[in-house]
Amino acid sequence: MGFIKRNRPAHPKQPLKSSLKENFDEVKRRLGNSSDIITREIQIGKSGKIMAGLIYTDGLADKKSIQDFIMESLMINVKESHPNMKISQHFLSNLKEIAITIGDVKEINDFNTLFNEILSGNTVILVDGFSQGFSAGTKGWEDRGVTEPSSTTVVRGPRDGFSETLGTNTSLIRRRIKDPNLWLETKEIGRVTKTSVGIMYIKGIVNDKVVEEVHRRLDRIEIDGILESGYIEELIQDETYTPFPTIFHSERPDVIAAGLLEGRVAILVDGTPFVLLVPAVFMQFYQAAEDYYQRADIGTLLRFLRFVAFFIALTAPSLYIAITTFHQEMLPTTLLISLAAQREGVPFPAFIEALLMEVSFEILREAGVRMPRAVGQAVSIVGALVIGTAAVEAGIVSAAMVIIVSITAIASFVFPSFNMAISIRILRFLLMGLSASFGLFGITVGLIALVLHLSSLRSFGVPYMTPFAPFILADNKDAMFRLPIWGMFSRPRLINQKNIIREDMPPTQKPEPRQRQKNN
Amino acid sequence: MDRPIPNKRKTLIQKTLTILVIVVMMVSLGGCWNRRELDELAIASILGLEKSDGKYHVSVSIINAGQIAQKGGGAPGTRTPVTTYHAKADTLFEAFRKLTTEVPRKIYFSQLRMVVIGEHLAKDGIEKSLDMISRDHEFRTDFYIVVTNGTTPDDVIDVLTPIEVIPGNKMFSSLKMSQKSWAGTLNVTLDELISALTSDGREAVLTGVMVKGDEKEAQTRENVERIDSLGYIKYSGIAAFKKGKLVGWLNEDESIGYNQIQGKVKSTIVNVPCPKGKTAIEIIRTKATIKGRVENGRPKITIDYWAEGNIGEVECPLDLTKTKTLYDQEIKTEQVIKENMEKALRKAQKTLKADIFGFGEAIHRSNPKAWKDLKKNWDKEFADIKVEFKVDVKLRRTGTINNPFFKK
Repeated sequence: MGFIKRNRPAHPKQPLKSSLKENFDEVKRRLGNSSDIITREIQIGKSGKIMAGLIYTDGLADKKSIQDFIMESLMINVKESHPNMKISQHFLSNLKEIAITIGDVKEINDFNTLFNEILSGNTVILVDGFSQGFSAGTKGWEDRGVTEPSSTTVVRGPRDGFSETLGTNTSLIRRRIKDPNLWLETKEIGRVTKTSVGIMYIKGIVNDKVVEEVHRRLDRIEIDGILESGYIEELIQDETYTPFPTIFHSERPDVIAAGLLEGRVAILVDGTPFVLLVPAVFMQFYQAAEDYYQRADIGTLLRFLRFVAFFIALTAPSLYIAITTFHQEMLPTTLLISLAAQREGVPFPAFIEALLMEVSFEILREAGVRMPRAVGQAVSIVGALVIGTAAVEAGIVSAAMVIIVSITAIASFVFPSFNMAISIRILRFLLMGLSASFGLFGITVGLIALVLHLSSLRSFGVPYMTPFAPFILADNKDAMFRLPIWGMFSRPRLINQKNIIREDMPPTQKPEPRQRQKNN
Repeated sequence: MDRPIPNKRKTLIQKTLTILVIVVMMVSLGGCWNRRELDELAIASILGLEKSDGKYHVSVSIINAGQIAQKGGGAPGTRTPVTTYHAKADTLFEAFRKLTTEVPRKIYFSQLRMVVIGEHLAKDGIEKSLDMISRDHEFRTDFYIVVTNGTTPDDVIDVLTPIEVIPGNKMFSSLKMSQKSWAGTLNVTLDELISALTSDGREAVLTGVMVKGDEKEAQTRENVERIDSLGYIKYSGIAAFKKGKLVGWLNEDESIGYNQIQGKVKSTIVNVPCPKGKTAIEIIRTKATIKGRVENGRPKITIDYWAEGNIGEVECPLDLTKTKTLYDQEIKTEQVIKENMEKALRKAQKTLKADIFGFGEAIHRSNPKAWKDLKKNWDKEFADIKVEFKVDVKLRRTGTINNPFFKK
């Protein structure tokens, strides 16, 4: 890497100048006269002798608040209420205290900060004759708004989802956790994009070492731009060479809030609705938000169903291949006969047949995600024809294979998290190869390797397979099973070490008939 | 920030390469050597074994899968659901391999449902022919073994069966059903048969199978096109073996008696005489234990038999509301069952002289020391053995009505 010259912007801290005109000229020069940068000169003071200037970016700053709370108060209100304002040493701070009717005000001394403020939507106010200025928080750009998250839907549960604005996202979490211990630290990552990245956690619940580690890993990032939390995820994850995600992400504020309450750390990235959550464990990817909103028995059954789906999605085609090409004795006679009859005249071995169908399904699925909405119907009709009857009628694949591929496809959509579904898809192909060459033996070896690999993974110091390996009995209350809420009185052990107890002594939480008063 | 990147890279590449090479070698060197696609298999359903002129005669009934599970679920095709192939050779294995000159695919025996042993072979001794079947890894041991009764395996295998399209499945399920609800037959699997053949204190038994009706007509398509089949496969009697050789047959009553002694009856019907007809008792639960002991050097056997039954049919005006009537019926049922058992015993002791009940095993269990002496002369001992029957029948229910609706 040594031969690539680091090309950092060579702008050391350059102090503001005292002349307003010079400052304006410098801003215009540095920003290349960009037409969306608005510079406005106004006169303030009773006599109108004092020149001041506003700089903001069109589209990022809220014009109405600039008009109402900066221009109006500077140009009209101040003149009336404080007619005797004079240019003095304290003029700027007076102005700030008296005239700017906006909450978020910061002082500015150099150009770098000035550009940061302008380009993140704030308005910079400069006064002629002062080599200082201040910025007012007028951020207000067009936002998609808080809409229902499209990647994870629920039948019962909150419908709000994160949006592309960091402020909106933090507010959605704060609205759920109104505790002073919910801390937010923000840093800018990306030399060019200067993306705001927020680290959110609940002080006192979170493991401080994990927060430290998150900071350390984030600080190490040296990149020109962060456009999505996926960038961050890839740059800070523990293991690159694994199909499994070791960092959890969600579009749902309730899921992130639940994670924070368990002692995890949320990483919010400006510009994306996907918020990261660390440390992540394997089980997390199989827990849907709704598990907790439905009653415990239903939640548990749904999780079991999801696990069945997990095994179908992972092994169904490979089991079919293994049993029909190596272990025909395992099939009941009638089933064997009907399968054999279907295979009559199919030109390919079962493995090629399965590969053909799986690949064509994956192509269809990928097309379904990427294609413009308008052509969706056309693709689904063609897809149904290709995958379905036509392939069977043409004698290229057997009907049983179509069933296997379809059930596999549907099972892989059961997972609450899309990235886990993708890893299962990849592994399915590996297992198919193994089963085609070694039969059930190959599948067994593949699964053993898979378990070994999963057990070797870690996410921010937490073993990926917790609470199964290492086995933690207490944490199994919310893994395969979902105990009633009153039964989940402690936080996950390895994620959180000091503040374990969520509820008071558990029995008091269980609803019981009121004890009859004893006669003393 | 001079990290030792090159080294790290190298180990990573080495690691990946090694794994890749191993995987490629695994797949290409070991891959698919035992693979058989479903359409490359000739699924054997029935295996017929017979001996003539000192040579094994093997017939295999191969399932014609395409004809059975027709695409689109239309009417069955014009071809038969199964095809039979024959071969003759000195050894069974040779005969099996000789079959490949006739069969286009490799014969696959895992799904075998029935082994039909010919009467000649049975009389000659079945032990040797079973070796190959139990030795070959492809045979699953859950098929039933039967002996032809007055016919040849070929004639049995070639019968076209109605309802169940595959004759093998027909034979398998009808044997299973009749054992379950009639008790005149016996489903014997390979391991049971072999353990009986190798045991000193027990002789083997197999159910007999025969073709009722016209044997030749039963092999034509017309057989399944008629409501009343021209010929059909029927189980009848139990074949008793001695030292692996067929020595005789038990008739229907004796067969039921045999199964009663063995405790193998799940459910059956016992007809009990009553003043002007009969009552049919449905036995629904039975338990039989054979206890052996040696008294004064003489073996003695006690058979504890316990059964629960319902009254299934009444032909005479009994007053079933009275417990005494039920007691009478119980005693009569006990008598009938005891008679059947005695019949079977008499046949085995007097005619067959073969310990098909496993009395020797019972003695062996109770008194291994005495058994060592007794087994030397067991054939003689068995013929004279004293057997005590303790039969206990309880009638529980009388069905949906109490007394019969007719009087007198």
